[in-house]
Amino acid sequence: MDANEQIHAQLVKAGVTLAASLPDDWVNGLIRRVTAGNQIRHIPVGREAETIAICAGAFFGGVRSVAIMGNTGLFTCTGEMATLCLRHMIPVFCIVSARGSIDDHKVYQEVQGRRTVPLLQAYDFPYQVIDKPEEIERIPDAYEWHRLQKRPFVLFLTKRLLGVKNA
Amino acid sequence: MKTREALTVLAKHRGDAIVVCALGMAANEWWAVTKSEDSFYMHGGMGFAASFALGLATALPTARVWVLNSDGSLSMNLGCLLTEAGQQPANLKHFVVDNQSYQTVDTMPMVNQDNADYAAIAKGAGIRQVATIDNLADLEKKTPEIVAAPGPYFIRLRVESEPDYQRAPPATYEGPEMKYRFGRALEKKLGIKVFGPRGF
Repeated sequence: MDANEQIHAQLVKAGVTLAASLPDDWVNGLIRRVTAGNQIRHIPVGREAETIAICAGAFFGGVRSVAIMGNTGLFTCTGEMATLCLRHMIPVFCIVSARGSIDDHKVYQEVQGRRTVPLLQAYDFPYQVIDKPEEIERIPDAYEWHRLQKRPFVLFLTKRLLGVKNA
Repeated sequence: MKTREALTVLAKHRGDAIVVCALGMAANEWWAVTKSEDSFYMHGGMGFAASFALGLATALPTARVWVLNSDGSLSMNLGCLLTEAGQQPANLKHFVVDNQSYQTVDTMPMVNQDNADYAAIAKGAGIRQVATIDNLADLEKKTPEIVAAPGPYFIRLRVESEPDYQRAPPATYEGPEMKYRFGRALEKKLGIKVFGPRGF
């Protein structure tokens, strides 16, 4: 079972039935896995911040959801994460590629690699990094924990975990 | 047609619809007209009320969901129309209060004031049912048909710009209380569980 298959299985185990996403080449495998099955309904969006609002709305429908995007997209969401989710104390579970990490040599990911974590810390958005396959089984715990935090939570997936080549 | 008059007509035909209001004038006027707790009055995320409503409508496919958007909010996230069209939610109605101004910030003029046709934009995005209504007689006549039709349906309410700053005050509760009052209202109304056994 590859990492995306395992992540999908753990999201299902956590009770997730809705995903909103915008592609990034590191998380495309997970998006394809979500769309290939019928356990998680998928909503593709035109801008990453829509995933935050869609998941916030789904929360009030009693549905567990996940926002999937790249690190650059996360940068564009922080205003909505703060003014919608912090303002109203709405938990949103985000799965984000850890672009700009030490093994990502794409020049246009460089700023994100340096500034994402300080940005999350400035807003007091909790996060975790999953780098090894054995850590994937922590997703259901992370999901429960983020609901308790009542704010957006970011789960970063690393290049090594996802086995990404040439991206 | 004034905003308060238009929303009063909508409230009359609302039935059991759950309403998501974009922050500012639309939310304030809906609160003034309905005082309803099964409505969500956004306090932030300008531009994303329609996305929030789409998430809610997707989560509750048997419930009727309305979004009361505004021209300023829609202009911040026109892409929401593509996302909405991609899902074709049968239980979602998308109203836009179009007063051609940013009313809650001193009635400053909208970008491209008087030249934008949001209904045409929605149609171009793939929402097949669209309407522009600019007078109360037509609104009274067409609202029952709009309410009865399956969604998605995009309705542009062309209203007068009213220069009084924050003509209606916001709801009398905010942020976290909005979350719990709205969530508890939906639990009671629909028999769903929004919060867990320990309240979060």
